[in-house]
Amino acid sequence: MVENDASEDSKKGMKVGGALGEMFRTAFQRPITKKYPFGAAQVAERFRGKLDIDPVKCTGCGVCEAVCPASVIQMVHTGTRKVGTREIETKRPTFDLYTCISCGQCVDDCRFEALRLTHEFELATVDKKSLVMDKALKVVN
Amino acid sequence: MSDKGNNSPISGEEGSAKREVSAGLMQYSPENLMPFGPVHPALHEPEYFKLILEGEVIVDAIPRIGFVHRGIERAAQDRTWIKNIYLFERICGICSFAHSLSYVQAIEGILQFEVPKRARYIRVIVAELERIHSHMLWLGLVGYWTGFDTLFMWIWKDREHVLDLIEAITGNRVHKSYNTISGVRKDLPENISEPIKREMAYIQDRIRYYRDLVSREETLVVRTRGIGKIDAETARKLCPVGPLLRSTGIARDVRTEDPYAAYDEIVPEVKTSSQGDVASLLTLRADEVLESCRLILLALEKMPSGPTKLTAPRSVPKGENAFHVEAPRGELFYYIRSPGGITPERVKIRTPTMANVLTATSMLKGYTLADVPVVLTGMDPCFGCMDRISVFEVDKEKQWSVRGEDLRQYGISHYKTKKL
Repeated sequence: MVENDASEDSKKGMKVGGALGEMFRTAFQRPITKKYPFGAAQVAERFRGKLDIDPVKCTGCGVCEAVCPASVIQMVHTGTRKVGTREIETKRPTFDLYTCISCGQCVDDCRFEALRLTHEFELATVDKKSLVMDKALKVVN
Repeated sequence: MSDKGNNSPISGEEGSAKREVSAGLMQYSPENLMPFGPVHPALHEPEYFKLILEGEVIVDAIPRIGFVHRGIERAAQDRTWIKNIYLFERICGICSFAHSLSYVQAIEGILQFEVPKRARYIRVIVAELERIHSHMLWLGLVGYWTGFDTLFMWIWKDREHVLDLIEAITGNRVHKSYNTISGVRKDLPENISEPIKREMAYIQDRIRYYRDLVSREETLVVRTRGIGKIDAETARKLCPVGPLLRSTGIARDVRTEDPYAAYDEIVPEVKTSSQGDVASLLTLRADEVLESCRLILLALEKMPSGPTKLTAPRSVPKGENAFHVEAPRGELFYYIRSPGGITPERVKIRTPTMANVLTATSMLKGYTLADVPVVLTGMDPCFGCMDRISVFEVDKEKQWSVRGEDLRQYGISHYKTKKL
């Protein structure tokens, strides 16, 4: 336990302009802020941006739908396929990326490594439908 | 509910005993009543303060909470254990890691998981980084509310270094989504130890400068020293948590009293201060940042190798558990009960601001309206707060509203004419 004794600080006496030295130093520095829309913004290697799917790797198992905390993913019936003599229903995911929180839980749980988070983050749009990702459906059909 | 007499929930001994204070709005009539809130995104947990003024001096402050109840505890009952991690992170942007940490450790207690040692060390690193960025945000805000905008910008500039580290480790600046049941989701990135050491040296250097500055610079000292004073005896009665409690000289810290993660091996030194005013909170939080820097470097040095997570089951067996962690603002408490399935039956959360709100109102008593922004910021409620308050003067049947910015300007000009 360490006591920080403020009464000791008060002995130093108060003065106005204690920060002047630092003010002059920073006044002649280059600006810290970057003019972002006019130059590229850097993100970290692990940055979690827009979700992307590799339709070829996706098997339609539906684990991503089960784990998604923001209800982004819906499995859609795409048709049937024959396995031996049986007809099996095929499903593929669609993504409503406008509700996506980019947590990456689906990426962690995808056994087939079909999902990944890109570094894309400029997702503002006037058309909500442009953020619906149904790439996986189109490949199957 | 009795109308007359002292029914103030904080029952100040001298202040409210002298005058008749009652719950009805119009019965305050000799005094001026200033309702503070609630319909604005005021504090971390939206609150409403009835400030009873006599001239400019606050004689009583009565909090009322619960206006923006989001129903998160109920929502958690419909979601699976994993989904809830991301839900609880969104209770608070500043201490999102502390929320998920407390929640997952409560579950790990029911599952009786032995979390890998490396994961526990990584949790310490991220939790301490979060404490640094929360405290620096707060230090900057005090600069802002006292009219020392330059300090605000400097500290927030330096805070970016910490946020960049957090983004490099977890993938996001604010909602880290880094914890999972049984460990952390990813190992530390390769070659991260060199940037961490570099940035910690930078932060330590800057914080030492700011600590010196805030105790000397008159602009800040006049607005903070002796303001919002609270003694240890009152603090014991009102049970605040975190830096607010430690600023009164009581050394309580969950990290040392009930160690979690790897705090049993990386033992923090509990910093205290004896003054109990906003000025001592400034130096105390600066000291805690320096201590956090030391803990991060120590954890990095002693970092064991091994896995960072195990395979967690989807369902949790029947049982209940409570867990608490030391969030940047104080003790954060989680209680969970599992019916034996994939969703919780009950989750109860007690956030630090909830514990501190009565103390903050007690701190306001006897100080002026101009001190309200600084004292309420002193308890570290949440940022972007006081953007609109209404002022009522009951006896004059007059009502007008003041934006937070106006109140800030009022505070600055008040002290300009008075002391500076």
